[in-house]
Amino acid sequence: MARNRFFDGPLAPTLALAALLWLGLAAPLARAQAQPLAFADALAADDSGLGRFPVESAQRVVNLPDDWARTRPHRGTPVWYRLHFDATGADSRSDLLGLYLERACANVEIQLNGQRLHAVGRMSEPISLDCQRPLLVPLPGALLQERGNTLDLRLAGYALEQVASHQRAGALAAPLIGPYSQLSARLARDTLLAVTLPLAASALLLLTGALAWLIGRSRRRDSHLGYFGALAIGWALLTARLWWHDVPLANFDSELLLASLPAVVALAAVQFLLHFAGWRSRPIEVAQYAQCVAVPASLLVAGPLRLHMIASSWYALLVLQVLSAMAFYLWTARRARRRDFWVMTVLLGVCAAMVVLELAAQQQLLPSPWRQLPSLVMPLAFVAMGWHLVHQYGRALQTAEESRQALESRVREASAEMEKNYAQMAELRVEQVTQQERKRIAADLHDDLGAKLLTIVHTSESERISTLAREALEEMRLSVRGLTGKPVKLIDALGDWRAEVVGRLSQTGVEGEWSAPSEDMPQTLSARAYVQTTRILREAVNNIIKHSGASRCSIRCLIDSGDFQLAIQDNGKGIPLELDGRLDRGHGMASMKHRAKQLHGQCLVESGPGYGTVIRLTIPLERHTANR
Amino acid sequence: MKTILLLEDLPEIRAWLKTLVTQVFPDGQISEAARVHDALELVSAIKFDLALVDLGLPDGSGVDVVEKLRETQSECQSVVVTIHDDDEHLFPALQAGAFGYILKEQPRELITEQLQRMAQGEPPLSPSIARRVIAYFAAQSKPQQPDLMPHVSLTERESEVLLRVAKGFTLPEIGVQLGLSRHTIADYVKQIYRKLNVSSRAEAALEAQRLGLFRR
Repeated sequence: MARNRFFDGPLAPTLALAALLWLGLAAPLARAQAQPLAFADALAADDSGLGRFPVESAQRVVNLPDDWARTRPHRGTPVWYRLHFDATGADSRSDLLGLYLERACANVEIQLNGQRLHAVGRMSEPISLDCQRPLLVPLPGALLQERGNTLDLRLAGYALEQVASHQRAGALAAPLIGPYSQLSARLARDTLLAVTLPLAASALLLLTGALAWLIGRSRRRDSHLGYFGALAIGWALLTARLWWHDVPLANFDSELLLASLPAVVALAAVQFLLHFAGWRSRPIEVAQYAQCVAVPASLLVAGPLRLHMIASSWYALLVLQVLSAMAFYLWTARRARRRDFWVMTVLLGVCAAMVVLELAAQQQLLPSPWRQLPSLVMPLAFVAMGWHLVHQYGRALQTAEESRQALESRVREASAEMEKNYAQMAELRVEQVTQQERKRIAADLHDDLGAKLLTIVHTSESERISTLAREALEEMRLSVRGLTGKPVKLIDALGDWRAEVVGRLSQTGVEGEWSAPSEDMPQTLSARAYVQTTRILREAVNNIIKHSGASRCSIRCLIDSGDFQLAIQDNGKGIPLELDGRLDRGHGMASMKHRAKQLHGQCLVESGPGYGTVIRLTIPLERHTANR
Repeated sequence: MKTILLLEDLPEIRAWLKTLVTQVFPDGQISEAARVHDALELVSAIKFDLALVDLGLPDGSGVDVVEKLRETQSECQSVVVTIHDDDEHLFPALQAGAFGYILKEQPRELITEQLQRMAQGEPPLSPSIARRVIAYFAAQSKPQQPDLMPHVSLTERESEVLLRVAKGFTLPEIGVQLGLSRHTIADYVKQIYRKLNVSSRAEAALEAQRLGLFRR
């Protein structure tokens, strides 16, 4: 195939679309704008359960954004932050002001100048976490003072140790205060990037995964599709935190579930790659299933406070496994010169990059918009891969269909051939059976009818009956010859006739004269023509011997323009004129003529008293030659 | 006195033949049989000068009797008496050692004459049989395993006689054509029959040997 595989299939458009989307949404970041008020630090104090900023407790200044992992290790209790700001300038009067929290990985309660303004989620265990969603809260003008406004934020979240992913550890991004309209545009953009698009991608991934899983389940040969489906569904479930905030489970339990899921996803990923490479290993499969159990077991044993450490270790191990499987797959595919090698290389490369990014994001090593990149691109890469696989599956199906049709037509041809052969064999068999049956009939006729006629010939008192029986015997033989006889060469027939005629004439003292062509000739007579002509000749010779009183007889045979001509002439007394009609019958003239007519020839009798008799027989030869 | 075997299954025909034979050989001693089995028993008991053998019999073919006679009584002249006028039936009997044949349906006088001729050592030979013999020896003369096969071939004269018979010439005519006596021609014919038998036997032996080799 001359076309580059990379541009074939659904992969290229999908990636291009994702890149455009990302660029379009990320670009405004770089644009210069009237900057809202950003806070670089805040006063922080532990919650004392009073429902307000604990002014009496110990307070300290923290830099923003505040990552609890750094500033409050091992502590998960709610924290109060106090910010001071002035609402100066024309903006405060004409425009509504808003407080924008890009990320507060915790539930937030906001108080402005001592008034409770907003609260998100449950503050007590289990705390409902919604770390990805940005928050924009309007600051009502009525509560604002020109100067010296106090903004208190109460955050409830988890220490890093208590969660599997750094992304779910408690933290507060630098709050922004600015015109509400400006901030709401930013909210829309951040929500889209951090929540809506990853959600949509996950939904798409879920559907693709389900489709692949169904196909893979229905065909054992396409088990890699089943594993891919499981991988896609698992990945989509990993993003469940995006839409399922209020999990009715203790934090440890939900974290346990979330931390165990990657083991299953890794199993699906590795098995997909191995199966797709056409390599199956039972030990690896067993080890991976065992791993799926070992991950939650180890987390359970370690307890809530070491959850992050254990889970991170597992993640590193799982990533290593998947990357190894990818390398193995690519190595095999390259060796096998698979047509989709480059497509899969690009897709797996993107996936590997995203996995690394994801790991980096979990360690808080990435700046803000890039942190969300894996959660958006990864599902899209999976979707593209899924479409590629389904496309490939469709093509395989198409190929199978075509070869099935080719096979079917070959089978049809073969069976037609067989039928033809069978028909020919049947025909041959019929011919054989017919031949056998003819022989049997001939034998029966000879043995039964022949024997009885023979008995009559030799035992009848009456000469007439004896003659009739002899004639019947000859007729029978004629029929038998007609049944089984082969064509007779004319030269052989002439030999037979000469021997009979000359032998009989010499026995009876009639001087015979035979003239016939003696050189070899190609013509043949059918068995029937041979027998009929023999009978005519025999009858004629009989008549001469018995009735003509002739002393000489000449028989002339010749082949003239495709006819065989026989002239039998005697010097006897001829056939009396007045009795001509009746004598015909008596002398067998009628039967001679009848036989000649049967052979499409003719038999002419010329006779006159004292002039002897001439019998002229003419039979066409071509027909018999052609019939051979 | 001649001892004559008459093998014929139809009683009427057998009786009729018997009268014919009695007419030709008034002092002949005739043994009758209706089945191959009976005939073979007679052959092992009595020495025959002449045997008239029908081919199609209830318990087999008269060819077996002809063969047995040729093996045990080489002096005996076997003649096939049959209703089959085609060489398909006759030729095997001639190969087995019969000297001529008589067609049963022929008129009494013709058969009588033929029997007399045979008694005088002049066996009948029809053109179709002659052609068959020519074809047989033509096939034999093709070199096939010359070491194993005692080669029997016709002399030029014998071939000449056969060719002329095939063309329909009677034996006296051939005698005139070749400037030979009628008896010499008859001897040629007898020699031809003998050679046909010898060659056929050699062929059969070779065939048996080949089958044996094959089995081994």
